[in-house]
Amino acid sequence: MDAQMDAQMDAESADAPLPRDADTLSPGGGAAAAPAADVIRLAGLTRRFGAVTALDAVDMEVAAGEFVAIMGPSGSGKTTLLNILSLLDTPSAGSYVLDGIDTSRVTENERVVIRRRKIGLVFQQFHLIPYLNAVENIMLAQHYHSVSDRDEAMEALAGVGLADRASHLPSQLSGGEQQRVCIARALINDPALIMADEPTGNLDEANESLVMDLLQALNARGRTIVLVTHNPDLGARADRIFRLRHGRGDA
Amino acid sequence: MAGGERPRRGSRASMTARLLLKALLVHNGRIGVALASLAVGAAVVSALCGLYLDISIKMSEELRAYGANFILSPVPQEDAGDDAGDGAQGLPLGRLTAALQEIPAERLVGASPFLHGLARLDLGNAVIVGVDFAGLRALSPYWQVEGTWVGVSFDTRNAMVGRHLADTMELGVGDTVTIQDRALARRAEVTIRGIVDTGGREDDQLFVGLEVAGAVLGLEDRADFIMASVVAEGAEADALAAAVSAADPAVTGRPIRRISANDGEILDRIDGLMAVVAATILVITTLCVNATLTAMVAKRAPEIGLQKALGADDRAIVRQFLSETTILCVVGVTAGLILGYGLAQILGQAVFGSWVAFRPVVVPVTLGVSLAAALIAAVLPVRGAVRVAPARVLRGE
Repeated sequence: MDAQMDAQMDAESADAPLPRDADTLSPGGGAAAAPAADVIRLAGLTRRFGAVTALDAVDMEVAAGEFVAIMGPSGSGKTTLLNILSLLDTPSAGSYVLDGIDTSRVTENERVVIRRRKIGLVFQQFHLIPYLNAVENIMLAQHYHSVSDRDEAMEALAGVGLADRASHLPSQLSGGEQQRVCIARALINDPALIMADEPTGNLDEANESLVMDLLQALNARGRTIVLVTHNPDLGARADRIFRLRHGRGDA
Repeated sequence: MAGGERPRRGSRASMTARLLLKALLVHNGRIGVALASLAVGAAVVSALCGLYLDISIKMSEELRAYGANFILSPVPQEDAGDDAGDGAQGLPLGRLTAALQEIPAERLVGASPFLHGLARLDLGNAVIVGVDFAGLRALSPYWQVEGTWVGVSFDTRNAMVGRHLADTMELGVGDTVTIQDRALARRAEVTIRGIVDTGGREDDQLFVGLEVAGAVLGLEDRADFIMASVVAEGAEADALAAAVSAADPAVTGRPIRRISANDGEILDRIDGLMAVVAATILVITTLCVNATLTAMVAKRAPEIGLQKALGADDRAIVRQFLSETTILCVVGVTAGLILGYGLAQILGQAVFGSWVAFRPVVVPVTLGVSLAAALIAAVLPVRGAVRVAPARVLRGE
């Protein structure tokens, strides 16, 4: 199984440099041609917290190279769905197949391995480690994936226009710059899926536009992106909007 | 940007080291408390360990000196045959001191002859004791003395008096007292230099030079017995006793068991006390490190959650916090060892009046004990770190 293989690879990785994770479809690079397969496939996904049903039999597919916005009012289950899609939470029922892997059949350790190899996360609060500089924050994601490589991290930083900010601490960067570091970090391990949770929620208009342009440019180069937002203007910039109401999907 | 085809060049170790050092440096205010408690804990453990290893022999000598543990006395008349002396009180001092030569000098902490007798003082009768003042001081270092010890062995002009007798006879330091035999035929005058408190029969005695006592009592150059403080135990002490007894048929030497046996007990109690102090300090250190790590984990929950979201597994989190704890411990223990060596010297000088030698074994013992304490302290906080739910903390809940 893919995940087991990854887990095995991870266990064997020790300190040796690893080849990049190219075992399954890689949406990075190349033209955004017709998607070959679904990166996300949810069937009857349900999440209950005690008596409360946060997600109620949600079905959803996201094809490789697609840019999907998940929208819905507060309490509609956006956060719960995002946690499950990011493998930070497990569903009570239903199935979630990520890039061909049925995540309901993997162990907790395998979930960690899948997360580090297939998912890039962009947060509303950026979540950069405060005592690591910009390039080191990116190297941290490399570190948990395989090994950290400063040159490659510098390239990623240059890719979001922050080459000259590499040695700055997060506190020395503006909100927009921190979010771009966060995006570079999300991309560094070439994930099958980028999950962005209200990525512009803490940014002014100029930076909001900059970050959205960046996400759209990435999508144009074939990246699969799932954006969670409650802002209709941002949602409109996605290929497709997936609406949640009271825990039920409404594509 | 990302997606390069070339293999990554770098090492996991260098990023691990960078993460550890930066995390420790940025939280230096918080870890300062843990560091200080580890240093103090290590200092106390290493100081007590050094004292334990280095001082126990000296301590046993000191304890032995707390009272005489060997007596050389005349053989009882009926057993002594023709050589029993002249029937007068005690023995000629020369025979007792000759027998004392059988005890090697390096084994002898101190010794004094004693000659007892009843004499008349200005206000009444009292027991006077002729002694060698220097020897008496070596035998009785624990005596509480008001004024000063008489420093010269056989001082003929000065005396020391027991507290109770001094009160009864209205004697103070600097007073002169006349001593006479009961027939008022012989007399001597001495000046009180010190008043002793022992809580024993000495409190009712007047200590004068042996010569003075001999002159007043009409027992010149005689002594009842010699008390000695000897560094020897069990069979060794018995062998010395036999040697003394064999040297002169009129003299018998014997260890005073009660004190010798107590030495070991007191030593054991002091060792036990040191162990209790060390254990208490270690418990406090453990609690302190635990509190610091717990606070640190709570403060760093978002960071831990992020690391997990980025793909750090439980092992990586455990490794990171245990490594941080170990680094803290090594730094704290290094400072503590230096502090502890100084502390051992201060204690050695203050309590035993001697320097404590550096014992290399103190280093691994202190490091091992401190590391164990720190790692025990880390168990619960690390468990807390592993339980951090990224989904929760990354949303600031």
